[in-house]
Amino acid sequence: MLSYALRRIAGVIPTLFIIITLSFFVIRIAPGGPFDDEQTLPPEIKANLEAAYGLDKPLLEQYGRYLAGLVQGDFGPSFKFKDFSVTELIAQGLPVSLMLGLSAVLLALLVGIPLGTLAALRQNSPTDYGIMSVAVLGIALPGFVTGPLFALVFGLHLRWFPVAGWEAGELRYLVLPVVTLALPVIAYIARLTRGSLLEVLRTNHVRTARAKGLPERRVILKHALRPALLPVVSYLGPATAFVITGSLVVETVFGLPGSGRYLVQGAINRDYTLVMGMIVVYGSLTLTLNLIADLLYGWLDPRVRYD
Amino acid sequence: MSQDEAPVALDIEQLSVVFDTPDGPLSAVNDFALEIRRGECVGVVGESGAGKSQSFLAVMGLLAANARVSGQARLGTEPLIGRSIAELNQFRGVKLSMIFQDPMTSLTPHMTVGEQIAESIIHHLKISADAARARALALLEQVQVTDAPRRLDQYPHELSGGMRQRVMIAIALACDPEVLIADEPTTALDVTIQAQILALLAKLKRERGMAMALITHDLGVVAGIADRVAVMYAGRVVELGTVHEVLKAPKHPYTAALLASMPRIDDTGTGPLPAIGGQPPNPRRLPPGCAFGPRCERVDETCRAARPALTGHERRVACHHPLERP
Ligand SMILES: Nc1ncnc2c1ncn2[C@@H]1O[C@H](COP(=O)(O)OP(=O)(O)OP(=O)(O)O)[C@@H](O)[C@H]1O
Ligand SMILES: [Mg+2]
Repeated sequence: MLSYALRRIAGVIPTLFIIITLSFFVIRIAPGGPFDDEQTLPPEIKANLEAAYGLDKPLLEQYGRYLAGLVQGDFGPSFKFKDFSVTELIAQGLPVSLMLGLSAVLLALLVGIPLGTLAALRQNSPTDYGIMSVAVLGIALPGFVTGPLFALVFGLHLRWFPVAGWEAGELRYLVLPVVTLALPVIAYIARLTRGSLLEVLRTNHVRTARAKGLPERRVILKHALRPALLPVVSYLGPATAFVITGSLVVETVFGLPGSGRYLVQGAINRDYTLVMGMIVVYGSLTLTLNLIADLLYGWLDPRVRYD
Repeated sequence: MSQDEAPVALDIEQLSVVFDTPDGPLSAVNDFALEIRRGECVGVVGESGAGKSQSFLAVMGLLAANARVSGQARLGTEPLIGRSIAELNQFRGVKLSMIFQDPMTSLTPHMTVGEQIAESIIHHLKISADAARARALALLEQVQVTDAPRRLDQYPHELSGGMRQRVMIAIALACDPEVLIADEPTTALDVTIQAQILALLAKLKRERGMAMALITHDLGVVAGIADRVAVMYAGRVVELGTVHEVLKAPKHPYTAALLASMPRIDDTGTGPLPAIGGQPPNPRRLPPGCAFGPRCERVDETCRAARPALTGHERRVACHHPLERP
């Protein structure tokens, strides 16, 4: 297991390097530059600004400098938020976004798996139909619909949770955003779990477990559920990507001071360093969750450790 | 024969299994009947699809969800058909065990061999994990798994097919069952391993006085270790008797055809084996008369009109025109 883990971890670094390199050049190839829309800017000042940020250097040299900075944990200065470094901006927003995203993934697993299991065990019963109908809705409705709806019902109307906003340390501000973000993932995981558990329950090794005279509960929890969770674990990677994009919307709807807005604003403003910083952070996050998924996979199914 | 005096361990009567399918009902087992006495091994033979596995899966309560069962099966005096899962679990794995057809997929991939054997011992015999592990080790040695102490902590994928089948046998024997159902325990294995496993089963049956049903489509296997043999065709028993009688003087034309298609060790000819002519019956469209009729050389109007009943006492056959002794 340890060598399997090490191999997986070693695989992450080249992937991250490729992501950084590709993004760096793609962003530069895109038309426009950080100081283009400031039309009043005289050409000499613009040239001075570009020189100050090293934008006049050949692209390859810029790339080299950027990498050198990154290795030391320096994301460079923001071109638009002129008083801040990218590191500072990310440090401001990321904790909120991380808390939002990770809570959503965790909630999705904690609710989705039991719901899917329950639906599978009560296959074709009202419970099953109920769970699966809600799941279809959950997958179909986008966050910009459910978000305002929840804010309206649970915020304005019932007054259970704040409608929007953020106060550090106040978890109740996170409840509606997390639920909004997690809902489609819960629904998807519930469906995955149900389908895959039903399949595993028909396999030969489950029949062997039943032939042993074990209680059905043990058959399911000990023999069936673990292999049934393999597709769910594989879905963790895409789920992270989904949660990251979803959080951009949800942070806006609920006015959370997360880092999602920097990605959008950075891209609009051609704030090269800010966009790159966000890509590096979100890229590493996605890779880390994929890594965790891989390790979980190896734990769930001993056969994959020996490939 | 002393076996006739031994008490009946498993008694199956009028067992029928019908599957509900999108194309309508499929009757896989019809009026299956068989008794197996303590210390006796009955071979159950027939072509693929004859209903061998489903008959005994019905006895174990392990049929697929789309199956409907009727009839009787008794373990000693305990009825099995129609019991709840919780009630069946008092017998399954303790008094009544089954070894399955496919050793490659019948073990749980994420549990070690030791855990899988010890599990039912701990559950049924209520002994400590350590004691169960010791017993699992002893079982592995008994089924002649090489390097047994190391195997305990290995996963199924680290074992060969033959080793996995031995582990399956160890699991089935873990709580000293009265009845063992072995469903083609050797089909997936190569010939030398086949012979070893069969010899092992024969030995275990002798030592433990178990009643054993040995399902196979290979009459050679039956000849080796069974006392009696039941021949199945299209979900029914068509011939039943001692191995000696049935193999030496088959009465049902289907049994005779099976025997003729069997390779013999003393066979010096190199010509092709005579295969049984015609197609195996389609369980959805069985003819009203004898199901073997369309493939039978002796078929006549009686056979097409009425299905022959299984008649006789110790030696039974379901045929309007049984073969005479040669
Ligand atoms: N779940 C199911 N639904 C519908 N039909 C089924 C189902 N399970 C088995 N059958 C059918 O039941 C019939 C008998 O199957 P069974 O498994 O008893 O055959 P068998 O004699 O054991 O053959 P083999 O030697 O191939 O194992 C077959 O026609 C099979 O297709
Ligand atoms: Mg079978």
